[in-house]
Amino acid sequence: MNPELDLTLQRLIRAPRAAVWSAWTDPARFEKWWLPAPTLCRVDRLEVRPGGALVTRLSDDGTEFVPHLDACFLVVDELERIVFTNAIDSAWRPANPAPVPMTAEITMADHPDGTDYRVVVRHGDPGARAHHEKLGFEEGWGSVTEQLARIAESQGAR
Amino acid sequence: MAQYSAQLDDVFVALADPTRRGVIRLLGRGPTSVGDLAREFPMTLPSFMKHLRTLESSGLIHTAKSGRVRTCVLDRERLAVVDGWLAEQRRIWEARTDRLEHLLADPKEHQP
Repeated sequence: MNPELDLTLQRLIRAPRAAVWSAWTDPARFEKWWLPAPTLCRVDRLEVRPGGALVTRLSDDGTEFVPHLDACFLVVDELERIVFTNAIDSAWRPANPAPVPMTAEITMADHPDGTDYRVVVRHGDPGARAHHEKLGFEEGWGSVTEQLARIAESQGAR
Repeated sequence: MAQYSAQLDDVFVALADPTRRGVIRLLGRGPTSVGDLAREFPMTLPSFMKHLRTLESSGLIHTAKSGRVRTCVLDRERLAVVDGWLAEQRRIWEARTDRLEHLLADPKEHQP
């Protein structure tokens, strides 16, 4: 867990684990919550198994759907854990997704009031994207961001 | 949404170079002419101009010509986009989880 690049969230969902699992694995349900309204989500492929595809499209106007996510499931433990990444696409081709590569790990555990739902999202270094462009990136992204934040703050009072 | 990530891409690429980060640092102190900026970096003017063009097309800086002098200005809002990047990802996942919770709050959805 790198606090500069990763995020975690934990939530009590007042529904049984099986219902949470089905919201993740049934395309008709998945489409209902994956993207914020009024954006519409359409599931092209939702193959919740290791190596399976996760491909979604989105539409802001309800007529034209554009590519959104082209990802691959890494780990699937029935009713317990789902791990997927967009660093490998649905054809298992190494990808260079925008804004950065990430791996999302979703875990579900029983809780007296429903489901203990946790998400860990591990991000790649945003700067790594630029290696394609043959540009050196010898400093860690964290220090750069810190530097930028300091500049922005010191100038913010103007 | 997709357009937003394309913009972010350009910003990250623009910042992935020490010269360009140096320009951003200098412009943090206030608008500066191209000539004054170029003096700070050990390279030919054409090479330096190329860096400026990358910064400009990413939206991180704007330039304006007055007479014979071209002045560069930092776009703080665009820079804030980078600062806010992780916060933005967090918001996306938080909101996504809210919607999942909301969907499952409907007893009809409890049928697996």
